[in-house]
Amino acid sequence: MTYVPVIDESACLAHGDCEEIAPEVFRVEDVATVIGTAPDEQLMEVARACPASAIVLVNNESGQQVYP
Amino acid sequence: MTRAVVDADVLIAGGGLAAQRCCETLRRGGFDGRIVVLCDEPRAPYDRPALSKAVLMGEREVNTLAYREPRWYEEHEIELLLDTAARELDATAHLVELQDGSRVRYGQLLIATGSRPRPLPLFGESERVHELRTAADAQALRDMFASSSGELAVIGAGLIGLEVASAARTLGMTVTVIEAAPTPLARALPPSLGLWIAGLHREHGVDVRLATAVEGVEHGPHDVQMKLSDGSQVTAETVLLAVGTVPATEWLTSSGLGPGAIHVDAGGRTQLPDVYAAGDAACYPGPHPEQRIPTQHWEAAARQGATVARSLLGQEPLPSPPSMFWSDQHGRRIQLVGHSPDRCHVELDGDPAASDFVAWLTHPGLPPAAMLVNRPDALPQARARIAASHPH
Repeated sequence: MTYVPVIDESACLAHGDCEEIAPEVFRVEDVATVIGTAPDEQLMEVARACPASAIVLVNNESGQQVYP
Repeated sequence: MTRAVVDADVLIAGGGLAAQRCCETLRRGGFDGRIVVLCDEPRAPYDRPALSKAVLMGEREVNTLAYREPRWYEEHEIELLLDTAARELDATAHLVELQDGSRVRYGQLLIATGSRPRPLPLFGESERVHELRTAADAQALRDMFASSSGELAVIGAGLIGLEVASAARTLGMTVTVIEAAPTPLARALPPSLGLWIAGLHREHGVDVRLATAVEGVEHGPHDVQMKLSDGSQVTAETVLLAVGTVPATEWLTSSGLGPGAIHVDAGGRTQLPDVYAAGDAACYPGPHPEQRIPTQHWEAAARQGATVARSLLGQEPLPSPPSMFWSDQHGRRIQLVGHSPDRCHVELDGDPAASDFVAWLTHPGLPPAAMLVNRPDALPQARARIAASHPH
């Protein structure tokens, strides 16, 4: 679990897909917020599923943005 | 006229996404007046995009789609009147008459009655002939899929028609899509990209008939027979009519706002005092002066509902990013950002044969648009490039 999700609040429109796929990681109100963590593959799946591409994944060890 | 009059500070006609976002933004902004929402379906606001995808596939149930739990409306003191629709607007008296004859007096009115599928009278009334707008429609279609031997004809190759075709094909049904225009999604995409989508469906076993109209319909005991303009015939147990939508604004005819999409300013104001509009019923100014185009998509309804709430709170509208819609077909995520200009030049980056590309749609003097296929990672950059080309 080296990826950390960050929400781009200017892009998030609260579609809710992230909470649908990973309720232990995301909670969606007016925008999505990160409330937990999950394996890297699952985070990548959620980030790719976001219709607004508002989930940014950062590698916690290198500090590099890995998505998008 | 002895019917009781309800008094609402804010009355919202329509119980979809725009209504939901307006309520949320109002309460978050500290608005403490009385909010009444007229929901014409027997359910609270819910997420429609799943209807043509996960619900049909049996992956989600319609009763899991609500945006909020019933408790949320109680806590935020928002009164939902279910199974209730507006019948007439008297803007001078600030009154909306409901279908049961009762009336609501409003301080401010948001019209968010959405749209409905465009009817095709040729098909008449039959339990085999469906349309898809509501949760009940999706449930009926899904039940029909489960009980039939699996022949579906989809009339219209727009987003809804194509998504249903994809879902039905994935379920193993035999699917024919019949489209009168020469290419699918002809209003949103240039011909070459429409044909790419047709190709995607054909690859997955969908029989796609383009530039073909239905000229005759006969209802047999077990199926529907359609005579097509090319002389051929298609027989199907289930038919979905998906030839676009019309704004559900006929009830506003006497007020002068309807029928048709209601033109509003950037803050959602109509030409009538204290009356606003959002979502499919409304037509907002586009980011470019030459692009005032009704955008009947999820993101527009979400933004416009919040925009009207901001106007009611005395705030300026937020800057509006390029419009966007997405669609899932045969496992591909397809996203369109911006308005595809007429007679545009198409510039490909990636591999269409592998369903992995970005297509830039350009025309001199107009902002570009982009279609992304399985490239959600390219969306932020595409959005930024399009936004940068808008006049400020």
